Amino acid sequence: MPAPGRRQRQGCAREERPDPGRRAHRGGRRDPSVAPAPPSPATSRRVPPPAAAPPAVEVVDLHRRYGDFAAVRGVSFDVRPGEVSALLGVNGAGKTSALEVLEGLAPASGGTVRVLGTDPRRERAAVRRHLGVQLQTSGLPGDLTVAETVRTWAGTLTAPRPVDEALAQVDLTGRADVRVRSLSGGERRRLDLALALLGRPRVLVLDEPTTGLDPESRRTVWGLVRGLVDDGAAVVLTTHHLEEAEELADRIAVMRAGRIVLAGTREEIAESQPATIRFTLDDGAPQPPVPADVEVVGAGPRVEWHTRALQPVLAALLAWAAEHGVVLRGLQARAASLEQAFLAVADAD
Amino acid sequence: MTTLPAPAGPSSLRRIGALATAETRLLARNRTAVVNSVLMPLLLVGFVAVVGGDGMLGVDLLVAAAGFTLVFLTYYNLVTTYVARREDLVLQRMRTGELTDAEVLAGTAAPTLLVTAVQIGLVAVGVAVLGRWTAPVDLLLPVLAVLLGAVVMVVLATASTVFTRTPESAQITTLPVVMGATALSGLFFPLSVLPEGLATVARLLPLTPVVELLQLGVAGRTWNGEVVAGAELWWAALAPLGVLLAWTAIAGFATARWFRWAPRR
Repeated sequence: MPAPGRRQRQGCAREERPDPGRRAHRGGRRDPSVAPAPPSPATSRRVPPPAAAPPAVEVVDLHRRYGDFAAVRGVSFDVRPGEVSALLGVNGAGKTSALEVLEGLAPASGGTVRVLGTDPRRERAAVRRHLGVQLQTSGLPGDLTVAETVRTWAGTLTAPRPVDEALAQVDLTGRADVRVRSLSGGERRRLDLALALLGRPRVLVLDEPTTGLDPESRRTVWGLVRGLVDDGAAVVLTTHHLEEAEELADRIAVMRAGRIVLAGTREEIAESQPATIRFTLDDGAPQPPVPADVEVVGAGPRVEWHTRALQPVLAALLAWAAEHGVVLRGLQARAASLEQAFLAVADAD
Repeated sequence: MTTLPAPAGPSSLRRIGALATAETRLLARNRTAVVNSVLMPLLLVGFVAVVGGDGMLGVDLLVAAAGFTLVFLTYYNLVTTYVARREDLVLQRMRTGELTDAEVLAGTAAPTLLVTAVQIGLVAVGVAVLGRWTAPVDLLLPVLAVLLGAVVMVVLATASTVFTRTPESAQITTLPVVMGATALSGLFFPLSVLPEGLATVARLLPLTPVVELLQLGVAGRTWNGEVVAGAELWWAALAPLGVLLAWTAIAGFATARWFRWAPRR
């Protein structure tokens, strides 16, 4: 469990998030040949990665097929040291299939994957020592205790953390002598994470790390991941939880049917969807003129407009209302959320 | 391409050791398995003590015990273990660390191999206690037979998982080895009673060379009943040794080519 002081620090970190320097650094898909703009030292939350740092994970035009079925159809992204990249998507979108290639567990049907500049499958021995993997299903024998499980895994690693530290990290110290079979789903997930972190990896691949966790444990996990990223690790994770992507990820890629249909920072993704204006008109009130750039979704007394120019459209609407003395009841104006963007693309046909 | 720093990690042996320790602990916590693995050889020895007439030599019992243990325990147990571990996604998770594929398979096999050794050892002690022990003609051949036999059983087991979907279906998929290879291994009847063609086929099956080597080493007896010694003994051992190595290569190749680490989806 993070000490109170640590939690405090995280709280501060979260408030600092929307800083312009960081945003600029995070912006969009970068051409790997172009060095990213260095974050402003005064506002950067994290240790700035060296400008020339090569991506820790590079995926170019990845394809993966099972027989006739194409699970991954041309996915590209990269993750630099000190960055978190989230793959979002509904079940069956191809997230796990893509990750299995990164993890070196499956061959790509096409395209290339490099982890720390190395082919994770053909040169597995070189990359494994630096790779921490949390699979979607834990695959741990039920009859070993938590401590025995961690000790066994540590015995296979080059530079493992001490077992006590690993257990404390995920708040399982009190459960050290409990058989894995008797753990709750959330405890088991935390044990999986402890094993993924045990070898002090430089690249961390997490497949739905917080599925089944209660909100408190989820925050513990987020804190752990942030701690690793602060130390320069590169993290790729999949998740169903938009909140998790918003909290953790520098860049988000939304997958659908094996392709990335939307990628960028959460702001960029949200901006891909129009903002919404809603209001209700009193009986007999005149209809407002519809400005350019507005798509009318609902007319009549309950009006809903979608627009990509929220501010000018809202200004025009308010000016009109003031001029004609019209009351706009329940007026709402909202920029698109990540959730809205996700729902718009993730499940569309 | 960047080269990654490669600090000295734990040796392969230490990694297998870590996994083997955990697997052995798991076995020891499975009370049924523990009781079975001690009870089986005791029953075998007891059976001979009670009904085995004077015609049954202790060394024959030892050969039979080694052959049966290798098939029914080593082979069958390993097929079900590997399949169960695969279906429970344990194998897949083991592969996410620094263990190599061969180390995962070896570590998983360790407790079964340990029990195999203990069982054969118990029968040997039992035979000695019953006063039916005779010194083997050659000490190296029986040891080689059991070691190579164990290796063949491990790779046959890994190869058999390719066509075994669940631990339960192993009861069917292991039949060719468990029934076929055992029946024609020379354990039940000497192969010299078979027509020549069939005898040759039988000698090419995976368990037969183990039995041949054991009989050569323990009693100096070849597959067709001749008694040999000295250089002739080793000359006679060449064919079964070759067959064992060939099976290791074939099953090893099949494993490398088709072994699945995760359940089919």
